[in-house]
Amino acid sequence: MTEEEFSDINGNTISLDCQSHSEFCKEFTVSVPKLSLRKVMNYTCAVWLTAYAVFFATDNTNVLSAAIIVTLVGMMLHLHFVKIDHESMLIIGSLGIQISASYASGRESTSFIEMSKVKDIVINEAIYMQRVIYYLCILLKEPSDPGGVGAVVPLFQVKRSKHFAHNNRNVVIVMQYKTLYTLFSHGFTGMLTVLYLCLFQSSKPRLNCLEEVYKSCQDILGQS
Amino acid sequence: MGRRKGEGQKGPIPDSFLDFAAMNLKEVPRKQNVCMVSDFFYPNMGGVESHIYQLSQCLIERGHKVIIVTHAYGNRKGIRYLTNGLKVYYLPLKVMYNQSTSTTVFHSLPLLRYIFVRERITIVHSHSSFSSMAHDSLFHAKTMGLHTVFTDHSLFGFADVSSVLTNKLLTVSLCDTNHIICVSFTSKENTVLRGAVNPEIVSVIPNAVDPTDFTPNPSKRDENKITIVVVSRLVYRKGIDLLGGIIPELCQKYPDLQFLIGGEGPKRLVLEEVREKYQLHDRVRLLGALEHKDVRNVLVQGHIFLNTSLTEAFCMAIVEGASCGLQVVSTRVGGIPEVLPEDLIILCEPTVKSLCEGLEMVIAKHRAGSLPPPAAIHNRVYDRVAKEVVLPMDARLNRLMSRCGPVAGCIFSLFAVLDFLLLVFLRWLVPDSNIDIAVDATGVRGAWRRMSTPPNTCTNTGYDSNYDVARDLNHTQ
Repeated sequence: MTEEEFSDINGNTISLDCQSHSEFCKEFTVSVPKLSLRKVMNYTCAVWLTAYAVFFATDNTNVLSAAIIVTLVGMMLHLHFVKIDHESMLIIGSLGIQISASYASGRESTSFIEMSKVKDIVINEAIYMQRVIYYLCILLKEPSDPGGVGAVVPLFQVKRSKHFAHNNRNVVIVMQYKTLYTLFSHGFTGMLTVLYLCLFQSSKPRLNCLEEVYKSCQDILGQS
Repeated sequence: MGRRKGEGQKGPIPDSFLDFAAMNLKEVPRKQNVCMVSDFFYPNMGGVESHIYQLSQCLIERGHKVIIVTHAYGNRKGIRYLTNGLKVYYLPLKVMYNQSTSTTVFHSLPLLRYIFVRERITIVHSHSSFSSMAHDSLFHAKTMGLHTVFTDHSLFGFADVSSVLTNKLLTVSLCDTNHIICVSFTSKENTVLRGAVNPEIVSVIPNAVDPTDFTPNPSKRDENKITIVVVSRLVYRKGIDLLGGIIPELCQKYPDLQFLIGGEGPKRLVLEEVREKYQLHDRVRLLGALEHKDVRNVLVQGHIFLNTSLTEAFCMAIVEGASCGLQVVSTRVGGIPEVLPEDLIILCEPTVKSLCEGLEMVIAKHRAGSLPPPAAIHNRVYDRVAKEVVLPMDARLNRLMSRCGPVAGCIFSLFAVLDFLLLVFLRWLVPDSNIDIAVDATGVRGAWRRMSTPPNTCTNTGYDSNYDVARDLNHTQ
C-alpha cells in the first residue's frame, strides 16, 4: 500500500492511495482535502453581505431569511451532491471494475462493470470549461460488434459534466498504446467512434496521477 | 525590423524570403512548436483548409510540432488527431456568420492561452483575413509574447463598407505581427495596401510549391555530362529567343554540355531551327509540354537550371529548380531577385552575352566541385521569425497608436492593455505550472511512433521518456 501526493487541475493537493490486494486486484483511492472552514466562511460571508446590502436598500426582512435558507440548503446540497471526500476504483482482473465515490455527507454511490464489457482503460483529453484536461476513462465493448469499441465509460464519474466539449460518439484516445499502435500501424487516419466512462471526474487529478493509475490498470488488464 | 533593413543594405538582394536559409545552413535547425489557427478547417472544404492541412503535414515531416486550432463544427468538437498525429482542437466557440466566429477579442483568451501553454507553442500561425479567430489568436499571442505569422489568402477591395471594416481590422492585427505570408504578389500588394504594413515583413510563398514534391535526387544525373534544364512555356515573354542564342554558343565551347528543354509554345520553332542549323539533335532535347507531376523528373536530371524570362512577377520555376538542388541561372528581371538567396542563384542581364557568362561561371564552379550539396537547400520562415524579437508592451502600444489612426489606435491600445490584464488575471487563476503539458504525438518523434518495438515492452518507457523531454523543455523555458 502506497500513498502519494499529487495535485488536481486547480493546483490543490490530492492524495492517491494504491492498495494492492493481490496480483490481480488493485484499489486506487483519490482523496480530496476536506472542505476548508475558510471557504465555507467566504461563501457564507458573500451571500450574507449581499443579502444585507439588498436589505439595506429595500428594507425587506424576507431577504435576510432567504439568505439564511439559501446558505443552509446550498451547503447541504453541496455536501450531498457535489463535495466528494474520496473516489475509488477497484479493479479485479477477470472479474470487473468497481467505481465508487463517497460524498462529504456520507452518501456513497457505487457502480460495477463486468470485465467482459470492458474493452480497455485509456487516458483521453477533452475541453472542459475554459481548459483542456486529461481524464481517465473505461472503453466499453459494443455488444453487437465485439471487435470494435462500443462505449467509453468515464471512470470515477460521479456527475456527468455537461461542460465537456466532447461527444460520446467521437472521442479520440490519447494514450491507449495498444489500440492506437495497432490503428496507426495499419494506416488508420480516421476518427475512432467510442463510448466511454470517465474516472475521477470530481477530483480531476493531473496527468502524472492518471498515468500512475493507468499503468497499474494496464498491468492487470494485460494479465487477464 | 531595423535589423532587416540593415541586412538588406549589406547584400545586393533587397529582401528575399530565402536569404535566411543560406544563413542557417550550418546551424542545427531548431524545432518549432507551431500552432495553426483559423476558423476554416476540415470538415469545411476549401483552399484555405487544404493549405493548412498540407502545410502542417509538410512541417511535421520536417520535424516541427504542429497543432491546428479551429472552432467546433456541429457535433465535431473537442480534440481530434489526423494523419501523422496532427492534433486538431475544435473549440466550442459560437459561429456567427459564414463559418466565422464572433469577435469579442477577449472571450477566446482563456482557452487559447491554455492551449498555447500546454502545447508549448512558440509560433502562432494564423490563416485567412476572414477568420476572426485568426485575428483574435494573433492578438492574444502577441500579448503572451509569442511569435506570430499571418497568411493572407484573399484579395479585398477598398470601396465597400465590409472591406473598409475588414481592412481596419487587418491594419490593427498586422501592425505588430512578426511576419506575413501572401500567396502571390498581387496578394502581397493588396495586403500591404490594405493593412498598411511594411512590405519587408511580407513574404510571398505561393501555395503551389510543395517542397516535398521537389526533392533532389542526384542519382538521376548523368555525371559524364553537364545538363542544363529549361522548363517554361516557349513564348516570347520567357526569353526563348535568348535561349536560341545561348545554345549554339555554349555547345561549341563545351562538348560535354547538353540541354533539356521542357514546355511547349509558339517559340518552339526558334529552338528547332537552331537545332537543325547547328546539328545539335543529340545535345538539345525538346520534351514538349510537361505535366506538373513530370516536372520533377525532368528537373532532377539536370545540374543547372536556366531561366531566361524577360519579365516575371514571381518565378515558380526557379524555386522548383532550386528545390530540386539545381544551380539556378536567371535573368535579373521583375521579382526574380527576391525569390532566391544569392548563393542559390546567378543573376544575369537579359542578353545572350551576360547569360553565357553566367552559365560559364556555373560550369566552371561545377567542374571545381564547389556547388552546395542539393539537400542543403531548404527554406525556413519559422527559423527567421523565431529569431526576431517580440515587441514589448510599450512598443506595441506605440505602434498601434501611430499606425492605426487616432480612433482605432486608441481603442485597440486599450484592448491590448485589457487583454494583458486579463492574461495576468488568468495566470493568477490558473498558473502555468498547473497546466499539464500535452503529449507530443506529432510525426516521427511522437509518442505513438515510439511504439515501433513490441508494445508490451515499451508501454511505459516510450511514453515516459517523451514526457520527460517535454518536462525538461518546460524547465528550461
